[in-house]
Amino acid sequence: MNAQAIAQVLASGVLMGLMYALIAVGLSLIFGLMDVVNFAHGEFLMMGMYLTFGLAVGLHLDPIIGMPIVGGVLFMAGVLVYLLIVRHAMRAKANVGMVQIFSTFGLGTLMQGLAQYFLTPDYRQISDSWLANKTVEIGGVFLPQPQIAGAVVSLLAFGGLYLLMSRTDFGRALEATREDQGAVALVGIDRNRVFALGWGLGLAMVGVAGAMLANFYYIHPQVGGAFSGIAYVVVALGGFGSVFGALVGGVIVGLVEAMTTLVLPASLKTVGVYALYLLVVLLRPSGLFGRL
Amino acid sequence: MKRRDIMMQMAGLGVLALASSPSWAADEDIVVGAIYPMSGPNAQVGVDARHAIDTALQIINTPTQVDLPGAAGAGIASLGGRKLRVVYADHQADPQKGRAEAERLITQEKAVAIIGCFHSSVAATVGTTCERYGVPFVCADSSSPSLHRRNLKYFFRPAAHDEMFSEAMFDFMDLQKKQGKKVETVALFFEDTIFGTDSSTVQRKLAAERGYKVAADVKFRANSPSLSAEVQQLKSANADVLLPSCYTTDVILLMNTCAQLGYKPRNIVAQAAGFVEKAALDVVGDKLQGMITRASFALDTAGKRPSIGFVNAAFKARAGRDLNDASSRQFMAAIVLADALQRAGSTDGEKLRAALAATDIPGDKTIMPWSRVKFDASGQNTFASPVLQQYKGTGFVTIFPTAVAMAQPVWPMNG
Amino acid sequence: MTDAAIAVPAGRVPAAGALQAHAAQRRRQLVVAAIALALMAAVPLVVGDAYLRNILILTLMYAALAQAWNILGGYCGQISLGHALYFGAGAYTTSVLFVHFGVLPWFGMVAGALLAAVMALLLGWLCFRLKGHYFAIATLVIAEIGLLLVHNWDYVGAAMGIQWPLGPDSWATLQFARNKAPYFYFVLGLFALTWLITFWVEGSRWGYWWRAVKDNPEASESLGVTVFRSKMAAAALSASLTAVGGGFYAAFVAYIDPDSVMHFRFSLLMVLPVVLGGIGTLWGPLLGAVILIPLTEAIRSYMGGSGTGTDLIVYGALVMGVAVLKPEGLIGLFSGWRRKAGAA
Repeated sequence: MNAQAIAQVLASGVLMGLMYALIAVGLSLIFGLMDVVNFAHGEFLMMGMYLTFGLAVGLHLDPIIGMPIVGGVLFMAGVLVYLLIVRHAMRAKANVGMVQIFSTFGLGTLMQGLAQYFLTPDYRQISDSWLANKTVEIGGVFLPQPQIAGAVVSLLAFGGLYLLMSRTDFGRALEATREDQGAVALVGIDRNRVFALGWGLGLAMVGVAGAMLANFYYIHPQVGGAFSGIAYVVVALGGFGSVFGALVGGVIVGLVEAMTTLVLPASLKTVGVYALYLLVVLLRPSGLFGRL
Repeated sequence: MKRRDIMMQMAGLGVLALASSPSWAADEDIVVGAIYPMSGPNAQVGVDARHAIDTALQIINTPTQVDLPGAAGAGIASLGGRKLRVVYADHQADPQKGRAEAERLITQEKAVAIIGCFHSSVAATVGTTCERYGVPFVCADSSSPSLHRRNLKYFFRPAAHDEMFSEAMFDFMDLQKKQGKKVETVALFFEDTIFGTDSSTVQRKLAAERGYKVAADVKFRANSPSLSAEVQQLKSANADVLLPSCYTTDVILLMNTCAQLGYKPRNIVAQAAGFVEKAALDVVGDKLQGMITRASFALDTAGKRPSIGFVNAAFKARAGRDLNDASSRQFMAAIVLADALQRAGSTDGEKLRAALAATDIPGDKTIMPWSRVKFDASGQNTFASPVLQQYKGTGFVTIFPTAVAMAQPVWPMNG
Repeated sequence: MTDAAIAVPAGRVPAAGALQAHAAQRRRQLVVAAIALALMAAVPLVVGDAYLRNILILTLMYAALAQAWNILGGYCGQISLGHALYFGAGAYTTSVLFVHFGVLPWFGMVAGALLAAVMALLLGWLCFRLKGHYFAIATLVIAEIGLLLVHNWDYVGAAMGIQWPLGPDSWATLQFARNKAPYFYFVLGLFALTWLITFWVEGSRWGYWWRAVKDNPEASESLGVTVFRSKMAAAALSASLTAVGGGFYAAFVAYIDPDSVMHFRFSLLMVLPVVLGGIGTLWGPLLGAVILIPLTEAIRSYMGGSGTGTDLIVYGALVMGVAVLKPEGLIGLFSGWRRKAGAA
């Protein structure tokens, strides 16, 4: 393969990596906040994609326009999921974390079933959007516009999150609750409110990711599976609870996945990613930027 | 503790006993089992299989004016007009679950035969189970060549397998080469399950035998989030013919990625599967103009054979889409089975098996471009000649073999 | 947390009496287990239907696998989401040895168990330093690597899998065409073995150390190396038992491929019964399996054929419902009854 081909592979890897990061950051927020493994994360991604598709086909809203709407709807979904499901699951006195796996796993399966029931298992794609099928070519390297848009939105989202966490009261409350759940009541922070809003924010992020993904990826009830698998690795690699870690982790995963195809058969490309994760956590047991 | 255990197990058994009592439908119906993926990523295949087989049942069970075996009468005449009823089951792409369902259908629903399975891995265990229970297994659409080579007496496959399909593809390429077109290099692009592995193994062998250079040999993980790196390898190789074996999701991603990276394959000769699914064609059909694919079914020959148009219309009324490579084979499996039941005059496993082994249906009494339906000693219909079709506009045109072709192929696909 | 409630009259705090009561409690558990085992052994005499027997076999198999996982996950506190790796190791070792070398599955399972134990020790040595979610994800990732490697490894069949040759019914090759009773008894024996090992662990020094460490993480600092070694042993034990289950599964289905024995859903299916029934308890895994497995099978069989996804809806809703309404596991229901009965 010549240099241009390699450059193409790397460029595609970075763009995809930024998408992975955007998909993963919601997971990281929720993880970091209350130690909850959201096994339905992929299904919420799927929900965001279907919503975007519905808006595009029903109301002729381009996914870029639909994105904030989808983010908003998923924000509300996140709040509801916390209030109705997770809060009850957290009542368990023993093995709280495991029980949350169980309840979110059930939720994920339920959502898949509902999607199949109401929307059929058929594959959908948004064919005519502003960016579909458009590509930017730089020096022989092709950068598809939907992926560029996804990467840009990802970076903006991370920037926004950083500002939210460091400059606003809510962000600081989020940080405080993450560091010490029990003590925050003493400083007047309603833990439940923070958790609910944290879930809302986390799922809003995944909704935004779904909207951008729907621009170039097909949609069906099981689409969440492959992406959520990578999301878990991204979050763990970057460090649970670290938003910056999710960004770095995502880009690294995207790059490594692409680079592995240069040395191994493509069907083994995720092995490179997994091997990297193991290497990182063996040297830094809390991931790259995690705190434990 | 023991109280709890007894209670739990009694409760469990009770639920199952209730649930497994025979269904309410008429006892005189002849029950056949159909095992397909009804959930998960290939659920659409299962949904279409239901429609295809239900279409066949409609033709068999009610007097229908179409030139197919079993259509004229109502039900199976030699069995007193008893109607055929199919019980569908979901195997979820798991060989163990497929086996469990086959056993359930045979022992509880009293199925006299099983049709299935799409996934070749499940067809393996279902075939074994049917063999053990002495119940015929009509393998409608699983195309792994290994399936009929296991010395099974109760295994019957009316349609072609991967070796036959790939041979037809290479026969076509040989023809193009003879006519002076540039066909020197091929690129294999296959997903990593049994389907892709089988297909690529045969294609690699044929390429070596017939003097084609394999410029790229790319195996990719099915349902990957991204195929950019893989497509880059294809682009770098820029082979004369791309030979992909992909399911629907990967077809969509592949064609989109090709477009995004500015790569237009010179020619595509595909192993059907995802390339003939409505979902893929709706979405990336514009990028697939001129694609050639192997096919079991040639809708465009309906003008020559009215039964094709009739059956397609009946299927379309149920499924909202035309018959394709997979659904046509599922339909035919049911027709072949009904024909055998008629000749057997019995639902006994051994007699039905003998009747199936003696099947001899002329090609024009089917909806397929086959010359006949006749099983060899291993249960394979060696006369199930595939055709090649080319995608033009929103439909397929049969282009090979020359004897049945409806139009000249357009070659190359992308100059 | 065991489900053994020691009945102590209010106001009295016996010292030596408590130890005696505990020993008596332990003896009672053994007696109950023996009775339960005998009852379960009688089930095939009552249930003859092949499909129902299949469900019972799967139930007991998952109960055994869940119990094996419970040793490492419930008692020892190391949550592994990658036990499918060991299940697959057992299945593949047994299959390769039988199909390529004619080695009987009984020996193949032992070989598989040894391989799994070695893998677990290696992985434990590398990964036990990781905490909580990092460890869980590491196990998941390692299992996925295993799946991908096997999927691309031609010697073990890659995606084509390994088909066991059809042969006559025989206990030696553990192949039976239609009769499922032998499989049932094998898996019952496997479950009994895992239960006994769990029972022994619960009453041993290891169990004591692990409970101490779980209650008081700082204690782990002082108990340090001793605990680490016992965790390694637990990992090896858990892995070998899982591998035996995998070898059994290979003989049972007589055809395996990477997705059918190493996929993540198997890892999940070994954990869910434990969580449902009660993690870290003696009877939790069996309870969870008895409820979850027949339910899963029945829902798929009787509702799955429609292709509408209703079976997934029901299954997901049920799983979620139990988790939300009874988070500590259903075993809590029975401890509650017992305590009420005792107090009355």
